[in-house]
Amino acid sequence: MSVYELLSEYGSRYVLALLTTWELTFFAAIISFVIGIVVTVMRVSPIKPLRAVSELYVQIFRNIPGASLLILLVYALPYLDVVLSYFACVLIAASLIPSAFCSEYLMAGINTIDPGQIEAARSLGMTFSQIIRKVVIPQALRFSVLPLTNLLVAIMLTTALASQVPLNPTDLTGIVSHINTHAVGGITAFMISAFLYCMTALVIGFAGNLIDRKVRLMR
Amino acid sequence: MNAGHVSIKDVLYEEPGPKLKKRIKAVTAMSTVLIILLFALMVHRFYITGQLDGKYWFFFGRLSTWRFLFRGLIGTVEVALTSGVLAFILGFILMTGRISGKKAAVKICTALIEFTRGVPTLLFVYFFFLVAPQFGLKLASFWKITLPVALSACGVVAEVLRSGVNAVPKGQREAALSLGMVERKVFLKIVFPQAFRYVIPALLSELVIVVKDTTFAYVVNFPDLMQNASVLISNYDAMLSVYLLAAVIYIIINYLLNKAAAYYAGHRKERSLL
Amino acid sequence: MIEIKKLNKYYGDHHVLKDIDLSVDKGEVVVIIGPSGSGKSTLCRTVNRLETIDSGEILIEGEPLPEDGKDLAAIRSKIGMVFQSFNLFAHKTILENVTLAPVEVLHKSHAEAKEEAMRLLKRVGVDSQADKYPIQLSGGQQQRVAIARSLAMNPKVMLFDEPTSALDPEMINEVLDVMTELADDGMTMMIVTHEMNFAKQVSDRVVFMDDGRILEINTPEKFFSEPGTDRARDFLESIKN
Repeated sequence: MSVYELLSEYGSRYVLALLTTWELTFFAAIISFVIGIVVTVMRVSPIKPLRAVSELYVQIFRNIPGASLLILLVYALPYLDVVLSYFACVLIAASLIPSAFCSEYLMAGINTIDPGQIEAARSLGMTFSQIIRKVVIPQALRFSVLPLTNLLVAIMLTTALASQVPLNPTDLTGIVSHINTHAVGGITAFMISAFLYCMTALVIGFAGNLIDRKVRLMR
Repeated sequence: MNAGHVSIKDVLYEEPGPKLKKRIKAVTAMSTVLIILLFALMVHRFYITGQLDGKYWFFFGRLSTWRFLFRGLIGTVEVALTSGVLAFILGFILMTGRISGKKAAVKICTALIEFTRGVPTLLFVYFFFLVAPQFGLKLASFWKITLPVALSACGVVAEVLRSGVNAVPKGQREAALSLGMVERKVFLKIVFPQAFRYVIPALLSELVIVVKDTTFAYVVNFPDLMQNASVLISNYDAMLSVYLLAAVIYIIINYLLNKAAAYYAGHRKERSLL
Repeated sequence: MIEIKKLNKYYGDHHVLKDIDLSVDKGEVVVIIGPSGSGKSTLCRTVNRLETIDSGEILIEGEPLPEDGKDLAAIRSKIGMVFQSFNLFAHKTILENVTLAPVEVLHKSHAEAKEEAMRLLKRVGVDSQADKYPIQLSGGQQQRVAIARSLAMNPKVMLFDEPTSALDPEMINEVLDVMTELADDGMTMMIVTHEMNFAKQVSDRVVFMDDGRILEINTPEKFFSEPGTDRARDFLESIKN
């Protein structure tokens, strides 16, 4: 099939597929960043049980394969009388795994801060929360821009898990499988999706570099 | 007391005074209770849904079960290692192209690297599973999973290797050249071996991603750990317990790989400090 | 101003501060010297509780040093501290480094804090660098900013923990000059340093420490001409060369 034939027949589906991938990426990014921040706070807290649990959380979700997690959510959870929509399952899988990495990057960002600055802030009479808000977080975030940009691309790639469950509209990977099982879409169907993924990744990377250059000026 | 070894985690909270100590103790106690409660709730859920029933777990006491899972694991390891080696070779080629300085090669390799990094593994899987056969490319199921996993990893490998090459001090190359070695030999004998050692931790981390990606083997019906797990499931009608166990096995494998990477990274740091 | 009584501190089994008794009066400049590892830095850091103590007492203006919470933060805001490694906030400009704490801790208005900061930066001679980031400044400039940052809190006493040890030789004097000026203005100061000439010039009293103990407290004239202990004599001898 030529690009023209393919797009005339499946064009609107591709638009929907792209939007689905974007939608999943967007929400998964927000959820994973929020969880990542919470987990990081727990990991640096002086409360030992919280440290242990958050450490365990990170180890589980940075090491579990996406397919394994998705299968557990879709097929195994109903045995515990927990039935989630397919969309929710994909969204959860695409949020939990990156959240562990998000926390790792934030931890790395925090670790790049010179401990002397904390002591300086302390000796100026700043309270713990002031030090966290004014000294630690702004610097940790600055150091984490590039890793978090890469994470956003990784989240987008993870949302391809959506192709493993019946979703309507399906995502950019699902549509390739759909077209090729219903017709002979050939390499074109694959290339269109790949192109849309790559463009999205490029835009994310470009934006990330722009932000990074802005906040990095001082170093 | 050496300032260089104080990490931010150690200074973030200062030594608490008596007031703060009391508060930390209280919060610790509270969170312990909360965690135990959550855990109990989870076990309770398993209990009331009958998932703790012996029929879901007894077969883990059988050697045959483990032998079967182990065979699946071998499949996983075969795919992961083959993909890993392929990704390394492809990554090496892409990297040499990217740093070759020849305009066309740089452009093509950069494009290929970005392409493989921007496309999800599953899309590559579908390419080899559904698209390639339309062109008469009939592959064994082993290659249908190994090739896409390798392809989707090779771009990252190329970038990792490139960062390693960039980290090798320029003087090394110049010294070797001044000894009369030719450029190609300098790269293969002097620069690359050092670069490789720098990036072993990053390569191990990429191997973790490769191991994770091998779980898509079920799409192409290759008998890996996941696939054999689903056979067990149909035999014993025990979805939850088997998939949980499979997940735990993957987590442990990847955890160990990450630990090895971290250990090697720490080891290197220590040696370079001496 | 500062009273330290029977202070002891351990790092594990290591007894780093042994029965320290020391007081610093208002307007006085006390210089602590001694070989490295003698505990002088640690002692300096206990005064605003960057280091905890195991026994003894520290009184600031007659009040015991609080152990945590807002009270401790409040006392710290009145005790300036200058570190060996400057410790400027890397993500803030020079001006913001100086205004941050006055705005956050003293709740001054931005305009007021800025005006005061510019005055202090001028005083230490780096006002032309106000909009730069710390990394763009030399070590000597950074340390002078660090001093201005402390002064912006209007401290009652200033602690200096080896303020020139991380500096290139040619930058040491620009920092010492600022400190000498401060001393002349009547600031109460506790200074840990290896700069003997500086100690001789500005100090009212010299404290000699070795192996976690104060061995001698003396006027600079006496201490540098006829030290009271063999250890101090050996130490002065050893740094002469």
